[in-house]
Amino acid sequence: MKTMSDASEITFSNYGIYDLSDNLELLLPNTLIKFQRISGNAFSYFRENSEGEIIEKIIPTESNDVKIELVPIQPLNHPAKRTNYVFLKLDKEIHLGENSAASIFVHCPIEIGIFLIYDDNHEPLDWVTCNPLNSRFSLYGSPDTGTLCKYAEVSLATDYDDSVSYVNGVMHIVIENTLSFAQTISKVIFPITDNNLYYNNSKSIIDGIKITMKKRAAVNIAEVKPTPVDTEWALASIWDKSIDSVHHMEMTLE
Amino acid sequence: MVLELLQSLSEMQLVGELTVLSLLIGGIIMAGGIITAKIAKLLFHKYYAPSLPKDTAQNISKLIYFGILIVSFLGFTSSQGIDLSGIMVAGGIFAVVIGFATQSVVSNLISGLFLIVEKPAKHGDTIDLPDMGISGTLLDIGTFSSKVRRFDGTVTRIPNDKFFTSNIRSLTLSTVRRADAVVGISYHSDIENAILVMKNEILQTMPFVLQIPEPEFRIDELGDSSVNIHVFVWYPKDDWSQAQPILLATLKRALDNASIEIPFPQRVIWSGKD
Repeated sequence: MKTMSDASEITFSNYGIYDLSDNLELLLPNTLIKFQRISGNAFSYFRENSEGEIIEKIIPTESNDVKIELVPIQPLNHPAKRTNYVFLKLDKEIHLGENSAASIFVHCPIEIGIFLIYDDNHEPLDWVTCNPLNSRFSLYGSPDTGTLCKYAEVSLATDYDDSVSYVNGVMHIVIENTLSFAQTISKVIFPITDNNLYYNNSKSIIDGIKITMKKRAAVNIAEVKPTPVDTEWALASIWDKSIDSVHHMEMTLE
Repeated sequence: MVLELLQSLSEMQLVGELTVLSLLIGGIIMAGGIITAKIAKLLFHKYYAPSLPKDTAQNISKLIYFGILIVSFLGFTSSQGIDLSGIMVAGGIFAVVIGFATQSVVSNLISGLFLIVEKPAKHGDTIDLPDMGISGTLLDIGTFSSKVRRFDGTVTRIPNDKFFTSNIRSLTLSTVRRADAVVGISYHSDIENAILVMKNEILQTMPFVLQIPEPEFRIDELGDSSVNIHVFVWYPKDDWSQAQPILLATLKRALDNASIEIPFPQRVIWSGKD
């Protein structure tokens, strides 16, 4: 199986929609995906991931027009779906003076969703992650009342084109400090379910967030709201449409 | 014909003013009430219960069922011309007698109500009752008793008064839980290096272990044969099987790969001449 180190020699499959007539092979870093027609109205699905795990499925379908969509999705499924929140630990802290604002781009981890499209149906079939070692959990808060989050150590990006293909997408974060004293930001915690993903070939970007640090009564809080990206990149399908929207969250500053 | 039959039934007195017709009407009311209660319970379970928490659904279901039965019973008594005020007085005295006689039953009933109101644990929670040595999944808090499915698959019925007054340790109330294991390394091994290799192995091969709080290593004891290191890791509350049972194996693998000795118990014997 081809790894990230072979990436310069191998052409991996781009995001997008593929016709599934007879056989289809999609190659991602550390991951091989194969579709094969096994009868007039059934396909087999085979996927081997970077951890040596093999998934095989049979896909019965009456339709003659079957397509496969490969898109970036929110990084919430590996190793199991447990939360809607992500915890981005910045590799470099950001110092923000009183009544000031900062605008940064960060590399946010992604997963890759495989969707089955036929007739009027658009169904999630499987998901993969090309960087399982950077897909872990963390806790924000205390063990009894805290929030379980997907955890990732992230670095700053230069712009929307700076993402690592298949591994992360670029997210724009605006941080506004309306408090009368300076703040140091080392981590960002937010529900990622309201952030859409977009793709172009093998690159992806994620809707941004705006963090406003402000005083409410006697408490200093950080308010986090999603901010849609204005882009011409293709909008990725949503993996789990059943998740309720959170819209925004607030947390007490430490 | 039918009217004549009803007329004759209404004239057939059993006891006092109680006639066969009124008894028949009462029977129909009670039967109708039971059937209605069962249908209402069935419809509730089919259409509404799936969208509610299981313990709430069970309580509402019982409320609907017994509520309809009580209304039916009141309809039955009024159709028989029974004056309930006399029964109330007699019932009060009777209740005191019954209360003494069935103290434990009443205690279980009241405890069950308190359990439903206080909710120390809810349906599906994994709980531990250390006083009774029972651990498992809470299946139901019933009227008189609660049921816990133990990890070996058997179901234990616990009277509600014992359940209510015992210590209840909830294993699923917190967001995360902690697993631990003790591993010993030889005295000539580098402790810092041993901790480093164990930490790396945990973070690489145990995806359910939390990065924050990160795995913790405490030198537990300078034992007879080894330096004992106590390892603590946190994991999402529902993923015990992905942490505790495999933690020790992961630690051993890490130490084996780094050629760090896990010593057997040993004793150095000095002879008198030495």
